[in-house]
Amino acid sequence: MTADLPIPVVQFCQVVTTAVAAPGVSGVISRVEARLQGRAGPRILQPYYDLAKLFRKEALAPEGSSWVFLAAPLAAMACYLTVPLLIPVLTTFGLPLGYMGDILGGGFILSLASFLVALAALDTGSPYAQLGASRAKTFAAITEPVVLFVVFTVALVTGTDLPYALAATVRSSAGQIIRPAHLLAAAALFLVILYETGRIPVETHTGTNEFGMIEEARPFEHSGPYFALLRWGSAMKQLILYTILINVFVAPWGLASTPGLLPVLLAIAALVGKAALLGVVVAVIDNSFAKLRLFKITEFTAAAFLLAVLGVFTLYLGGG
Amino acid sequence: MSLAGPVLATTVAAPSALAGGVNVIAVGVLLAEFGMFRQAMLRDQVRLYAAQSALLSALAVVVAATRHLPELYALAGLSFALKVVVVPIVLHRMLRGIGVIGGDPRWPAGSYSGSARSGSTDIAGSHALGVASAVLVAIAVAAFGFFTVAALGLASPVLPATALSVSVAVILVAFVLMIVRRDVVSQAIGFLSLENGVSLTALVVAAGLPLILEIAFLFDLLVAAVVFGLLIRVHHGRAESMSTADLTSLRG
Repeated sequence: MTADLPIPVVQFCQVVTTAVAAPGVSGVISRVEARLQGRAGPRILQPYYDLAKLFRKEALAPEGSSWVFLAAPLAAMACYLTVPLLIPVLTTFGLPLGYMGDILGGGFILSLASFLVALAALDTGSPYAQLGASRAKTFAAITEPVVLFVVFTVALVTGTDLPYALAATVRSSAGQIIRPAHLLAAAALFLVILYETGRIPVETHTGTNEFGMIEEARPFEHSGPYFALLRWGSAMKQLILYTILINVFVAPWGLASTPGLLPVLLAIAALVGKAALLGVVVAVIDNSFAKLRLFKITEFTAAAFLLAVLGVFTLYLGGG
Repeated sequence: MSLAGPVLATTVAAPSALAGGVNVIAVGVLLAEFGMFRQAMLRDQVRLYAAQSALLSALAVVVAATRHLPELYALAGLSFALKVVVVPIVLHRMLRGIGVIGGDPRWPAGSYSGSARSGSTDIAGSHALGVASAVLVAIAVAAFGFFTVAALGLASPVLPATALSVSVAVILVAFVLMIVRRDVVSQAIGFLSLENGVSLTALVVAAGLPLILEIAFLFDLLVAAVVFGLLIRVHHGRAESMSTADLTSLRG
C-alpha cells in the first residue's frame, strides 16, 4: 500500500481530478438546488450526459466570425487545465510545477481564459453575447481589487503568495484560523467566487432571461463541441475556485502528505466531498437570496472589498 | 508563537487564540456598523443594532472570564437586557406606531400603513451618496481612525490594541452614517451605535471602570432612545416623512 506514485503522475492526477470532477460538482449543485425548491431535479450525472451529447453534435460558426471564435474555447480550456498544476489540489507538499506561478499567476491565467471567451463573444456580432462579454469585463474590473487585497492578506500572513504556503500556515495552528485577517480574506474570496461562478446575488445560474445575464450570455453563439468545451471550462473554473477556497483558505485538511497511492486516492475523495459540501452551501444561498439588480452589483462588490480591506488593515495593526 | 509552516521574517505572526477571538468579535462589531450603514430597511437596521450590541456583551463576558473582572458580568447582562432587548423593542414599537414597518406581515399594520403615506417613510433612498461610494468613503474614514490610533501606540492590559483601533473606526463610521443618511431613524441608529463604539473603547482602555459609571451610561442610552423616539414621532407627525431634507429650510 505504500507504493509511491511518481511525482509527475500525482501532478497529472491533479489536472485529471479537476477536469473529471468539475461537471459532477455542477450536477450536485443543481440537484440540491432543485430538491430545496421541491423539484425532483436532474441526475447528478446529467452534466456529463449533456457534455457527451454536445460533443456528438455538429459545430456551427456565425457568418463573418473569424478564427478567434473557434480558437477561444480551446485556448480557454487549456488555461483551465493549467491552473490545477499551480494550486494544492491533492497534496500538501509543493509539486515541481506548482512553483511556476503563485496565486496571482493562477489568477492571471483564469482571467486570460475569461478574456478569450469574451473576445469570442465579441467576434460573433450577436448583441446578447456582446452584452454578456462587456458586462463580464466591467464587473471583473471591479472585483479585481478585492482579489488583490485577498492576495495582500495572504502575502502578509505567509511572507509569500504561494498557495501551498498559506495552506501550510492555516494547518499549523488554531490561532491562524481564528485571526480576523484570515476569516475576512476567506469571506471576501467567497463573495468573489459567488460572482465569478455566476451565482445568485449576482446572476441566475440557470435562468433564460438574457437581461440579467453576465457570464451565461457569452457562449450564446457557440454550438457542438465548442459549446461543450465552454460549458466544461466554466464547470472547471468553478471547481478550481472552490479548490482554492477549500484547500488554501477554509479547510486544507485531507490532502495527501506523501505521494503514496492510498493518500492520493483519499485526497481525491476528500476534495470531491469538500467541493460538493461547498456546492450545497452555494445552492442554499442560491435559494435564500434574490438576484441583485445589475446596478446593485457594485454594492455587492463594495461589501467584498470592505471585507478584504479590513483584513489587510487588521494585519497592519499587528492584530490580524 | 512559532509556526510550523514555511514562514519568512516579514510575516505578521498570528495572535494568540484569545487575542484572535477578541479581535474577531471587535471586527464583527465594525462589520455590523457597516451593515447598518448600507442597510436600506429600518427593521433590519434595528436588528443589526441588536446584533452589534449582542457582540459587545459577548466581548464583555469574554473579558470578564479571562481577566477575572466579575463586575463585567453584571455589565454584560445589563447591557444585553437594555441594548439587545429593550431599545430594539422600543424602536420597533415606535416605528410600527407610525407605520414605517407596518408593511411587514409579522408586524400588524399600523395606523398609516396601507395609506399613501407609508411610501413617504421609506428610507431606502436616503443615502446622500450612492451606496457603493458611501461604503468607500466610510472605508477611508475607518482607515484614518485605524491608523491614527495605532500610531498613538496605546497599549491595554486587558485587550489587544487592535480592538481599540477597531472601536475608534466604529465611532467614526457611526459619524459617517449620521452624516450620509438623510432620515431620522438612521441618524438615531447611528447615534445609538456610536454609543456601542464608545462602550467598546471603554472595554479596551478601562475595563475596570466603576460599575456605577457604566450603568449611568446605559441609562443615558435609554433616555437617548426615548428622546429620539419622541423626536422621530414629532418629525414624522409634522413632515409626514422620515427625511430630514425638510429641515434644511430652517437654516438661517
